[in-house]
Amino acid sequence: MADATFLALTVITIGSAIAALEMRSLIYGSIALMGTLGGIAGFFLLLDAPFVALFQLAVYVGSIAVLILFTVMLVKRELIFKKIEDKRRKFAGIGLMLVVMISLGAVFLDSGIKTMITDEPPVDFRDIGADFVTYYWPALILMGLILAGTVTGALVLARREDVENDQRAN
Amino acid sequence: MSVIAPKFKLSEFIKSLFDNAFWGLLLMVLVGLPAVFMVLFVIEMPVINGELLTPFLALSWIADPSRTLPIVHAFMATDMFRIMAFPGFGFAALLAAGTIFIERKMLAKLQLRVGPFYCGKFEGILQLMGDGLKLISKEIIIPAKADKPIFWAAPVLFVATAAAFVALIPVAPGWVVADVDLGLLAVFAVIGFFPIITILSAWSANSKYPFIGGIRALFQMVSFEIPLILSLLGVVILTGTLNLSEIAASQSSFPWIIFLPVGAIVFFITMLAELERIPFDLPEAESEIVAGWLTEFSGMMYGLVQLGTYLKLYAFAALFVVLFLAGWHGPMVVPPFPAEILTEGIVMGPITAKIPGLPLFTQEMLNGALWFVLKTVGVIFFILLPRGVFPRVRVDLLLSLGWTKLIGLAFVNIFIALGLLYAGVLGPGGLQ
Repeated sequence: MADATFLALTVITIGSAIAALEMRSLIYGSIALMGTLGGIAGFFLLLDAPFVALFQLAVYVGSIAVLILFTVMLVKRELIFKKIEDKRRKFAGIGLMLVVMISLGAVFLDSGIKTMITDEPPVDFRDIGADFVTYYWPALILMGLILAGTVTGALVLARREDVENDQRAN
Repeated sequence: MSVIAPKFKLSEFIKSLFDNAFWGLLLMVLVGLPAVFMVLFVIEMPVINGELLTPFLALSWIADPSRTLPIVHAFMATDMFRIMAFPGFGFAALLAAGTIFIERKMLAKLQLRVGPFYCGKFEGILQLMGDGLKLISKEIIIPAKADKPIFWAAPVLFVATAAAFVALIPVAPGWVVADVDLGLLAVFAVIGFFPIITILSAWSANSKYPFIGGIRALFQMVSFEIPLILSLLGVVILTGTLNLSEIAASQSSFPWIIFLPVGAIVFFITMLAELERIPFDLPEAESEIVAGWLTEFSGMMYGLVQLGTYLKLYAFAALFVVLFLAGWHGPMVVPPFPAEILTEGIVMGPITAKIPGLPLFTQEMLNGALWFVLKTVGVIFFILLPRGVFPRVRVDLLLSLGWTKLIGLAFVNIFIALGLLYAGVLGPGGLQ
């Protein structure tokens, strides 16, 4: 059962990833990107990590894909993109991807992944949370600081002088 | 001679009825019955009580009153019943339909109008049915330059997402379609799909007003999702679980709104914004941009979007009840099922009818569902009320409200929850 689901998810993920690259229409490309991200969420579900899967859906599909979609919709694409059609580049890209995938796969298969016990019960997300605030607390604080710095930076960058508008009475 | 249909002839009408009956019979005999027999030939029927369950036996069991209730019982235990009927789609759609009518009538009363009046004998109670018939019979018009696949898919996806949201809501103890361990996170994930569908449908219509409305909807939904999520973290901190059933069950002695009123207020305001209800109805501001992102929808496509909107309204109100108003908890008001019917049966003169399979629902479930519906209807009333009272806010006020004030208040709420936890008022060793 898991195998059929896995195969279906693989087809969805890889197929929509290829579609996201190859689609002529940018909107359909970003919809296909949503398919890829949703497929990855499905993989996390199969791996007994529903917490990560739901965050993948909420953050990647719900926010980042929306951001991409929104940007694409507001852009006049003829003005900023120059199409470069080149068969050789395409095949070189596919070849490079195959080389990378095969070498990564070889590394994974060589790393003893086959001897892993696969029917262990899933880790409770409460344990992960407890680990984060006890053993891994420096990493948590570092992440928090980086995120806070990023948000502050974004706010500083997005700040603008208020436009004086004579028509507004306030 | 009729004015509406001048070429109407009663004889033609009766002839067409007979025609339809003839063709129906013919198709059933030539296609339907052979199909049934082929299915019966392939499927192995189960053996029950030493008898092979033939279709004849199954039909006679259904007609047997002493067997009917157990069959209904067995059907009610299936997932199909839960998804289609009680805690799932049917129940929510019924409440949503009621909401539409109540909204129109209540708004009319608030504004000293009459509202729906003529359809149905009493106060226009059949108005909704009439509207539904009208929507179904209307032509579906698709704009010439629309992106057809997305435009067709958007209403269906909208209803499907709203139904997925409804499926996560526990209505009574044990009565929930999908009892997910991470229910609240699943709710956040499902809410994230609404802006995508909205902006896609708005873009695919290839029209000015839907696009403006869609972009407004996107701004509003994405920026209010953050205070929405933050305002619910207080409840999660206090209960230590993300499962909605457990959160509802944890409020047996007091609802969380007593301890987290700030969170409840923030959640209520963000709820209004997510639902595009009136102080925040910029995405479909009918006096500025026709009907916002719904402008190009017609016929049943508009009907589907409307159904999805009200399903979403029910789901948000129910989420408020589950998280802050103690879900299904309430004083036991439903009387217990009379025990003599179970032991002696119903005595009607000389006849005594013993009905196996009673009671259909337990007392707890009926009481829980009753309180849940009462509270949800109350919350829905408070969601509808601003429509008769408030004007629409400006978009920059809306965004600054969401990004500065509500997020700040949500953090205040989180610190209140942490304070209650660390002071020992709640949590282990405290009240609960």
